[in-house]
Amino acid sequence: MTDDQLSTTFAALADPTRRAILTRLAEGEATVNELAEPFPVSLQAISKHLKVLERAGLITRGRDAQWRPCRLEAAPLETASSWIDTQRQVWNHRLDQLDQHLKSLARTSKET
Amino acid sequence: MPDDTATITTTGTDDDLGEVTITRDFDFPREMLFAAFFDPEQLTHFWGPPGISTPVDKITIDARPGGVFATTMVDDASGAEYPNEGVFVEIVEPERFSWKEPSGMVTSSTLTDLGGGRTRLVIHQTNVPAMYRSAEALEGFNASLTRMAEYLATRPS
Repeated sequence: MTDDQLSTTFAALADPTRRAILTRLAEGEATVNELAEPFPVSLQAISKHLKVLERAGLITRGRDAQWRPCRLEAAPLETASSWIDTQRQVWNHRLDQLDQHLKSLARTSKET
Repeated sequence: MPDDTATITTTGTDDDLGEVTITRDFDFPREMLFAAFFDPEQLTHFWGPPGISTPVDKITIDARPGGVFATTMVDDASGAEYPNEGVFVEIVEPERFSWKEPSGMVTSSTLTDLGGGRTRLVIHQTNVPAMYRSAEALEGFNASLTRMAEYLATRPS
């Protein structure tokens, strides 16, 4: 996934209503009406949120024009949630290697 | 033996600045640590994550405020190249240095003399871009991720 895609995913996740929609979809497919029910906002507003989520690849929608159930897509979320972990691993490994490098430098300077 | 209990503190929500802090103690004087970051011949030995090399001929270190700090990480298996370029913001030998990436993220390193030839290195990343910061907001979302994975596993394909 490129940074651009990642940034689209995160932009989509930045909104609490959209996160709530995704949480609901983690329990199974749902229609727009079902998704809108818990929120004090219009169906149009929910549809707009769904479009953002769809563009970000976080959900897909059925083809049936009447029903068009929404379903969650896993891959973008998994990539998004791993960034901090990756950063942690990169720096810890880097500092491990730095320590090893300095030890070998110290050994070399003792020998010469 | 250096203190291996590196701590990572991540703070921040959607509304404030994300930060990442990594602390590590070394049994080496800070002059040695400082020099390692500014010498391509040394940086090449420790910069790359597992399976990734940072060839010395693809490292540019112009050690002055406004100078370029560029590295290219090369995937050992595929040969894919990942260039990174930053600009040094501050260099105070041997106490601290920082660079800023085009995303706005600033990585500051502070070297504190612990006495007896020991040094504490603190890496502090600030202005972590929104796209990275939101990852932290996601931590509270992990329970949902687990449920989602369970759901996807049971879904007929």
